[in-house]
Amino acid sequence: MKNEGVLWKILRLSVRAMTMLLLLAMLVPLAIIVILSLSDQSYLSFPPTAYSFRWYRSFLANSDYQSAIINSLTIGVSAAFLATVAGTLVAIAVIRGAIPGKDLLSTLMMAPAILPQIILAIGLYPISVLLSLNGTYWAVILAHAAVSIPFPFIAVCGALQGYSDRIEYAAMSLGASPRQTFRHITLPMIGPSVFSGFVFALAFSIDELVLAIFLTSPSTRTLPLLLWQQLNYQVTPEIAAAATALLTFTLLLILSATIVRRFSQQKYKVSGA
Amino acid sequence: MGGHLEKRRSRGLNGHLWLLLPAAFLILPFFVWPSVLIIGKSFSGDTGPLEQYRIVFASPGIRTVMAYTFYVSAVVTGITLVIGYPVAFVVTHLPKKIAAICVALIFLPFWVSTVIRTFAWMIILARKGPLNESLLAIGILSQPLRLLDNGVGMILAMVYIQIPFMVIPLINTMRTIDPSYMRAAAILGANPFWQIVRVYFPLSLPGAMVGSILVFISSLGFFVTPSLLGGSRTMLSILINQQASRLLNWPLASALATVALVLTAALFLIYKMVRRAAATSGGIA
Repeated sequence: MKNEGVLWKILRLSVRAMTMLLLLAMLVPLAIIVILSLSDQSYLSFPPTAYSFRWYRSFLANSDYQSAIINSLTIGVSAAFLATVAGTLVAIAVIRGAIPGKDLLSTLMMAPAILPQIILAIGLYPISVLLSLNGTYWAVILAHAAVSIPFPFIAVCGALQGYSDRIEYAAMSLGASPRQTFRHITLPMIGPSVFSGFVFALAFSIDELVLAIFLTSPSTRTLPLLLWQQLNYQVTPEIAAAATALLTFTLLLILSATIVRRFSQQKYKVSGA
Repeated sequence: MGGHLEKRRSRGLNGHLWLLLPAAFLILPFFVWPSVLIIGKSFSGDTGPLEQYRIVFASPGIRTVMAYTFYVSAVVTGITLVIGYPVAFVVTHLPKKIAAICVALIFLPFWVSTVIRTFAWMIILARKGPLNESLLAIGILSQPLRLLDNGVGMILAMVYIQIPFMVIPLINTMRTIDPSYMRAAAILGANPFWQIVRVYFPLSLPGAMVGSILVFISSLGFFVTPSLLGGSRTMLSILINQQASRLLNWPLASALATVALVLTAALFLIYKMVRRAAATSGGIA
């Protein structure tokens, strides 16, 4: 009986150790790219024998990468803005409003995230030609906005479910107009979630490849698309430098959303939820 | 006072519909229209509306691709479940703060572009890459493994990319399992093995189902990783892309896309049913 207990303890400890190893292993691929980006060699080999920032210099001096970064930011910020406005308003309608078919509506809002992007891409290509959006920024912006609506939608739904609508009714019964109620009660309560929805949508757009393959022209090429073309053509440590830059930017975005959320949670904790 | 609020409430029926307008302007033309367009185009052909589907189901080449796509998705789902289950179990039963850090670690790679994560695996799995080199150094291997052109590397990279979709639903379900059930089983004489197999595992099944369906759906549509690591064997997304952008055979590409769309929708319905069933049974327990 006592032996059995020891056996279980060993088993439990080894499962725990394996889990921790696996969690660290999740970071290994990212670390390898960062290490490669610091290589001083002219070809790709791991681990590099000498280190330098030369590939960052060449990446920053490369006009292809420069325009791709500007394109990605332009498309990402615009798409995330549109998705956040649309997703937030639908979330308010679904959680607080009196509209029919809420369940179907939520499913429709989530659907773009589930559908394989290649399907949407081949459907959107002829439409972008038809609307003469082909090759313009709008083609990618509108497609990314539609596909990233789920991020702000889920975030804001969660925030609205997190507090009772009686707070809003209280404000209105004290004479506040719906607009005042929204401005002074609803918006401060959902603000952090609107922000994190925006950030997640931005992170999605900045990383998205498949829609970008079909809907961009050489002048609107995004960073993931340029990386993709380079990977299919010639692999140098410059790609690792560009990838590290993109990776750092996305992770900083996510970190900012997490910090804002944590901070706002603490602010409201005092009153109790 | 009740009337005052009731009036505001009831005015909502028409007053709230404008909230849907911006989303409608995005979802209808850029999600619903392309889906309808693809389905419509898939029923076109010189010999009749079902011509493309006859090609899809009769062509041995396409059947092979379909079978391979299912096979890869099933293998990836299986491996992520086997790896993800113990991970989720351990993380669920850690102290809250540490668990939060672990969840963040699991989710971190999710935010990194699939192109970058696949690129990382191209390096790791290369013939002279770190994996082969270290296995050779320890002496486990006498010659480097071929991982890049036979699907093994692709499956490994896909498992890595899909792990969060398995672990997160599992953790969510496991958090709802009342520890007193396990204690009850222990009091009734079950050893830890039977406690897990007969009590814990059945209760965690909805999470495993939800995670498996999510991973399976998203594996079916994978494009980037199979393109870069898949070698000569083709998955459905790549075939759709080839038909559309290289061969310009839009009707066939649309038929293939419609098959993928119907499969995805069916799996998504099952996913919603499982989630609803899990939610109601959780409510009763």
